[in-house]
Amino acid sequence: MLSMRNISKVFKTDLVETHALRDFNLEVNEGEFVAVTGPSGSGKTTFLNIAGMLEGFTHGEYLLDGVDVSNLSDNKSAAVRNEKIGFIFQGFNLIPDLNLAENVEVPLRYRGIKAAERRRRVEQALEQVGLGARMKHLPTQLSGGQQQRVAIARALAGEPRFLLADEPTGNLDSLMARQVMELLEKINQAGTTIVMVTHDPELARRAQRNIQIVDGQVCDFAASGLGQQQGLRQDQELTPLADLAADFAAKAKASA
Amino acid sequence: MLHIKPILSSLLRSKSGPLLLLIQIILSVAIVANASFIIHERLALMSRDSGIAEEEILSFNVYNFDPSMDMAQQNKQDQQILRALPGVISASSTNMLPLSGGGWMDRLVDGPDVETAKSTPGFAFYLGNEQMVDTLGVKIVEGRNFFAEEIRSSPAESGILALVSKPLAQAFWGEESPVGKIMYQGTDQQVEIIGVIEQLQGAWVDHRNFEYSVIANVDWGGQGANSSYMVRAGAAALPGLKDSIIAALHRENPNRVIDNFKTIAEHRASSYRDHELMVTILSMMVVLLLLITSLGLAGMVMFNIERRTKQIGTRRALGARKRDIMSYFLVENYLICLAGGILGALLAVLLGQQLMKFYSLPKLELIYPLLTLAGLLLVTTMAVFFPARKAADISPALATRSV
Repeated sequence: MLSMRNISKVFKTDLVETHALRDFNLEVNEGEFVAVTGPSGSGKTTFLNIAGMLEGFTHGEYLLDGVDVSNLSDNKSAAVRNEKIGFIFQGFNLIPDLNLAENVEVPLRYRGIKAAERRRRVEQALEQVGLGARMKHLPTQLSGGQQQRVAIARALAGEPRFLLADEPTGNLDSLMARQVMELLEKINQAGTTIVMVTHDPELARRAQRNIQIVDGQVCDFAASGLGQQQGLRQDQELTPLADLAADFAAKAKASA
Repeated sequence: MLHIKPILSSLLRSKSGPLLLLIQIILSVAIVANASFIIHERLALMSRDSGIAEEEILSFNVYNFDPSMDMAQQNKQDQQILRALPGVISASSTNMLPLSGGGWMDRLVDGPDVETAKSTPGFAFYLGNEQMVDTLGVKIVEGRNFFAEEIRSSPAESGILALVSKPLAQAFWGEESPVGKIMYQGTDQQVEIIGVIEQLQGAWVDHRNFEYSVIANVDWGGQGANSSYMVRAGAAALPGLKDSIIAALHRENPNRVIDNFKTIAEHRASSYRDHELMVTILSMMVVLLLLITSLGLAGMVMFNIERRTKQIGTRRALGARKRDIMSYFLVENYLICLAGGILGALLAVLLGQQLMKFYSLPKLELIYPLLTLAGLLLVTTMAVFFPARKAADISPALATRSV
């Protein structure tokens, strides 16, 4: 479903070069639920932006659903995002001036879907997240958890094969977080591939696979999904997560 | 796709900014439409063809102070001197100057019985000799000019002949030819119409009968101490003509003041000065109103872009192309402009009716509000285009940033 090979992302200013991702490799199979964790500044958001085709990368190759999307034009990238990827953002990113139905309808309009079909999908998606009765409400009239469910409905309405969730429970209390997580699990069970970036180890544990990014790299090579395909060298040892975390903490202390 | 419905919903849910702009557009359209109409009316007035060779005619006055002078004889001599000057095409005395704002006005009636006679509309009443037609540069389209021997020295004498302007002829006689008709000045003075002049305007540019004129066969020069003359000369001779005239007439008789030199084009400019000023002020007002409205819209769009940066990033993330973002802001602009334009057009018509009632202006034609609306759409498109393009460049990656 998603294949990233040797992806690098370098941010350049006049004075410094920052390597947000370096030789980043990741395979996500169809129907998987993958959690991506890592400390702040590790490159999670950069990974998410590249995976969601929200920004480009400096080197490497990215295949989405078997198609190389490395050098697509802006218009084509927008079309791929619209058709194949569903987004769930930490801050929900609902449009405050539009009601729930209009919010869910946004990506469908950009796809040029006809009004009757849009209405059907919007109703279905909002029903699916339990907000079918509140279609005419404005986002400000909902709780945080409900708003995130609307955002999930917006992602689902496009019937994407790949869902990218950026800290989907980051702004929610534990009860609402659990409800949202259960909803995501349900969506995954229905066949949608999910990659979820999270800080929450509890949530990460509920995913089928857990990836940790440290210093712009997947720190567990096996977790990247490439181990089986490429095979590990006999002499190569995997760095334990605890060691990597200690190493990261030491670096952070040194740079402080 | 234009996505009009959600844009409209969004506008209706955050009303205050768009509402203020809407009011501004309504007022702008109403004012600009009426101002444009008045500008057009004034320009149309100013561009009317006088029928006269305005640029070639130099007018002036001669003030005679010598009581022993035979004024009538001096007038004849002076006209001969003027016609003999190099480059002069023709010269004539006159009782009034076209487009000058001052002159004679009269009416003729079609019979001696005041009870039954029908009166012509008022007209500018020129008195001139057989040279007058050439001097003015007007064209006789029917009948003939005066002969030299037909020239009288007073309109009260018998044998008064007249040339009438075509607009006057059409207004009074319709399709019938006026040539040969006998008209009356008062009850006993007969005036025979002998010709029709294609066009000859009077002295008062704002008068409704401005196009109605009559020339009678009277050499009015030498009737008093002050005589007016018009001299027509070629373009090459005109610059030095004033000095030539003063020198030649002073050579004949130095005991007089020769002054008030002005071309008919200068008289025209003086008479239309108020109109010109009005056109300039109204044009500036139109430009300023359109500019202010455009700035208002551009300001609203820029403010909205700042306010909706993350929203735009989200839309881009959800599949909006750059042109979708641009069209969003352009459609938003068009919706406000169209709503404001339609209401403004209605207000313009109401305002036009009031102006018609209180200031005797003609009825506002609907094309003016429509053209104003079209102009407003064009100007505001240009004003909104660049901020909208800036919005379209917002990265979709902004959707994941905590801003």
